[in-house]
Amino acid sequence: MYSGKLCSKEPVKTKEQLQALLKDTRGKTYYKEMQNLEVDTDLLWKTIQTTLNSRIKTWLEICSRCGICAESCFLYLANDKDPTQIPSYKIQSTLGEIIKRKGDVDNAFMQTAMETTWGKCTCCNRCAMYCPNGIDTGVMFSYLRGLLYQQGFVPLEMKIGAGMHRIYYAQMDITDEDFIDTFEWIVEEYEKDYQGLKVPVDVKNADIMYTVNAREVKYYPEDLAYAAILFNLAQENWTVTSKGWEETSLAMFAGDWEACKIQVKHVYEAMERLKPKRMIGTECGHAHRATVIEGPYWMGRKDGKPPVESIHYVEWVAEALRTGKLKINPEKRIKTPVTIQDSCNYVRNGGLKDITREIISYIVEPGYFVEMEPCGENNFCCGGGGGFNGIGIYRNHRNKGLTVKRDQIIKTGAKLVLAPCHNCWDAIRDLEEEFKIGIKWSFLKPLLIDMVEIPESMKPAS
Amino acid sequence: MFKTILLAASADHACDNAAKSAFRLADLTNAHITVFHVLGMPAHGFSQEVIDVKTGEKVEASEEYISWVKEEIKIYYAKQFEKTKSFDIKIAVGMPYREILREIKNGRYDIVTLGGTSKEKISVYKKHMLGSTVLRVAKASPIPVMVLCRPSSSFLKNISSILFCADFSKESDAAFNFAANLAKFFNCNLDIFNVADISPVFSKNIIEQDEIDSQISAAYKKIEEKYIPHTKNIIKTVANVCEGIPYVEIVKYAREKNSSLIVIAHHNKENENFGSNMEQIIVRSASPVISINK
Repeated sequence: MYSGKLCSKEPVKTKEQLQALLKDTRGKTYYKEMQNLEVDTDLLWKTIQTTLNSRIKTWLEICSRCGICAESCFLYLANDKDPTQIPSYKIQSTLGEIIKRKGDVDNAFMQTAMETTWGKCTCCNRCAMYCPNGIDTGVMFSYLRGLLYQQGFVPLEMKIGAGMHRIYYAQMDITDEDFIDTFEWIVEEYEKDYQGLKVPVDVKNADIMYTVNAREVKYYPEDLAYAAILFNLAQENWTVTSKGWEETSLAMFAGDWEACKIQVKHVYEAMERLKPKRMIGTECGHAHRATVIEGPYWMGRKDGKPPVESIHYVEWVAEALRTGKLKINPEKRIKTPVTIQDSCNYVRNGGLKDITREIISYIVEPGYFVEMEPCGENNFCCGGGGGFNGIGIYRNHRNKGLTVKRDQIIKTGAKLVLAPCHNCWDAIRDLEEEFKIGIKWSFLKPLLIDMVEIPESMKPAS
Repeated sequence: MFKTILLAASADHACDNAAKSAFRLADLTNAHITVFHVLGMPAHGFSQEVIDVKTGEKVEASEEYISWVKEEIKIYYAKQFEKTKSFDIKIAVGMPYREILREIKNGRYDIVTLGGTSKEKISVYKKHMLGSTVLRVAKASPIPVMVLCRPSSSFLKNISSILFCADFSKESDAAFNFAANLAKFFNCNLDIFNVADISPVFSKNIIEQDEIDSQISAAYKKIEEKYIPHTKNIIKTVANVCEGIPYVEIVKYAREKNSSLIVIAHHNKENENFGSNMEQIIVRSASPVISINK
């Protein structure tokens, strides 16, 4: 059976393989090799027989193709109501067809399925809210991603991302030493601004174990400093872990089920080793989904929960503001029209809509917050979820998809978009770059840093 | 004094003054020079597409492109490289200020040199503001940061005098040690200068002359006690204090004394925005300004 040097059914297992993939500009060789990739139909059918659960089987069978899901999908709306963008069509013509054919599909079919899976669905799960039968196409596409990954039909960046988790236990090539080193030196830069600022590492039995997104370490280390500052201002007993610090999972986006488990196991081991009271993850939606919502099932945990109580960063912020651990200077509240992008992964799928609005009530001057339409659980995906942001070959698909979010934002009249999620933040940044609608966008941390009151004990020495 | 100099530059006219001063310093101290260019932030995931900070274009940060950029830098600074003892060129991807700081931390540099702003076409207003890269690097750099926005005449000839701007803070003490060492190394004069800040006058807060005089006397005394004892091996040390708006007086003094270099402390808590004295000295001075923060 054909196996390319870069594109194959084998997952990335070495740094050299990773480097080779990273050097393949625009995946020229990778996608060329994909043309010759053979489908192991026996393996495909066998995998389906052993992993297809009754829920998905039922969903595929009971879908009446009524089309109610159509208008729930932002990609259907963004693509002039193209019928091939209707969620039920997308899943029936891919996963449904593979099952109907008992896995007997060819290369061309798998490449089309790959495009549909990563280029026409972000697994935002919005369609499930509108289906009269409660069919969740996003969940089915997540499953299909696994089947395609196993056969080697996966976009280059997803293959790399999953490989990173297998090698570095992080979505980027950041070692444990890099993480601690970066966290410590970035905090050192702020030591003079905030007396007593520190990063506790590997403290056992702390109240909080903080986990991050490797992008922060690589490109936005200020975010780490801001987290440290806010925990210190709130006088939290917190720690970071030197191993298992990465909360995200590109393996989940890639459909690399084995790597999903490898990654989350690593984080859970850190929880078990340090025994914190709670784990708090950074402002990232999919990280929360991977580690807190889906991770326990990947690990076969019977209670469906991580080893310690795990919450999203917005939950901690709301709590800190509610309890007065963090106090906002009312004069510094946001006084510009502002809206919020609801992360699919922790609002629609995690129920934290009210928590984010509670934060807004503290940090935005009354009268300046404008909801998107629709909002909360019904909000549309930012346009870049599920790995969509990072996939080069589907960049045009993604940019087209961004128009729905663009129009939602324009309608609010907001000049600032709160985006407490890495994917949303990136998508909105790209949206501005692409369409130049004159907005700013921000995580919560930098805004909070500018408006929280600093206790005398932490003020810089004069 | 300097074994390795980091020149963070975009190989364009905006960085010319800074680059000239860096190469001159390398020449004077027989130092190795590393030209460091940051391409910009990558697009998402593992895309190699970046917005080149120099051209503003979306480019593939492939090996081929990076080699091309290195080649361009080599051509741009060809004349300077000819005279330099040794050099290398490094390219990074990311936020420029962050990657410069990362490079400073990971490398063994003695000083970093930057231009004022990477934008060639800037408004009049912007000309009086430093780029955010310089401000952020100056705030956090553990090594001295040399910035030059305007063409320098004095520095490019001989190092005849160092102007140290004293404010008597802890950071200022560190800046003094550096300035004194420079003066000893270059065997030149050291000017210690302090300004009694009367800028409140412009917000209609009248300051009594007696108060100004007493500030001046106190400053002279501090210079005498704190700094003069450590100037024994310097050819000539002169202390001067006057009243005024600090950045204006410092720039004027540097011009009058034909100072080759200005050394000043950067305070972390200092306002990073338009108006800080250090920023104003940098944008107005015709001498390179070295900022010391710890």
